[in-house]
Amino acid sequence: MDEATRQKIDREVQNHAVVLFMKGTPQAPRCGFSATVAGILDELVGDYQTVDVLSDSKIRDAIKEYSDWPTIPQLYIKGEFVGGCDLVREMYENGELHEALGLKPDAVELPKVVISTGADSALREALAEATSQEPDAGHHIRVEIGADFQHALSISDKKPRDVEVSVGALTLLFDPPSARRANGLSIDYVDGPDGPAFKLENPNEPPRVKSVSVQDLAAKLRENSQLELFDVRSQKERDQAQVAGSKLLDRPAQDYIMTLDKGTPLFFMCHHGQRSQQAAAFFLSHGFSNVYNVSGGIDAWSLEVDSNVPRY
Amino acid sequence: MTTALGGVGSSITTQIQDAIVQSLPGSEVQVTCGSPGHFAISVRWAEFANKNRLSCQRLVYKAIAHLMAGDRAPVHAVDRLETSV
Repeated sequence: MDEATRQKIDREVQNHAVVLFMKGTPQAPRCGFSATVAGILDELVGDYQTVDVLSDSKIRDAIKEYSDWPTIPQLYIKGEFVGGCDLVREMYENGELHEALGLKPDAVELPKVVISTGADSALREALAEATSQEPDAGHHIRVEIGADFQHALSISDKKPRDVEVSVGALTLLFDPPSARRANGLSIDYVDGPDGPAFKLENPNEPPRVKSVSVQDLAAKLRENSQLELFDVRSQKERDQAQVAGSKLLDRPAQDYIMTLDKGTPLFFMCHHGQRSQQAAAFFLSHGFSNVYNVSGGIDAWSLEVDSNVPRY
Repeated sequence: MTTALGGVGSSITTQIQDAIVQSLPGSEVQVTCGSPGHFAISVRWAEFANKNRLSCQRLVYKAIAHLMAGDRAPVHAVDRLETSV
């Protein structure tokens, strides 16, 4: 490391309370580990300095020697090296990072969670099994809710910053960000195509395009022939094969949809389900909350529902 | 192709393991290869006892520094590094 580079790093570290050496920028991170740390800092501190090591190869090499640490990202707080992605994440979870930044961990309101009778007994069964396998460890149900509202259930021991929610005799554990996303969560245990499974419904989840199978679509059409089902393919393709009751999504149809109540269920289909996904996303972004994409499109319909509809 | 990749991955796993045990004598090391170049490492070593996590991880990284150096390093990233006593 040459002296000029060392001084440059010194200045960054000494002149800023929080400095992240990362690949890319917080807006456009170029590596998942850098993105994770930047995401944590975005949540905790509004303003922090970043240095993109990819735009300066001297710093990229020198910082490893400077910190005696072989990987990027690297976080400095008040002139002290804190660590890389792993350590930062761990410190974030146990509250040490808040402390280092001079923040108080935010108080998290206890989320209200409803567990159905079926889910309750399935969860107890899972706990009993875990306890019989590992009697010494603590066993609780952990619920994780990611920023993208992917949910995960697991059995785990308590961690220091966990938010504990008692529902009946069960204790649920949430890490603080998950707890903030959990109010109103319901956990059910239902039969699915691969046997019974947990079903989590979260009212905080922003609406997304739901997927519907051709069989379910057929059932819905039998119940309601006036279903708002739109075909995003061309008229030429529709002449070859179409589902009775579907409408061509042309300009007048688009204008018609915009006049509908935003909660109206809308169904979109195409040849295989790709183009219709885009159309569905378009109407979702225009405020419709009940938007379905027909999975597999007309091709799946001919294969699974009505073989009189020709495949092409 | 798959077997070749697996073969390469496993020999790097062994190299990581050997390098750590050599630097930290008496340590118990577990290395798993996630995707090519990405590893999870767990090290149990009695002498970690009086050190903070940063120092423990530094010791492990120092042991494998030669495997992580350069643009074509066999070890691109350590996805998870656990140290315990």
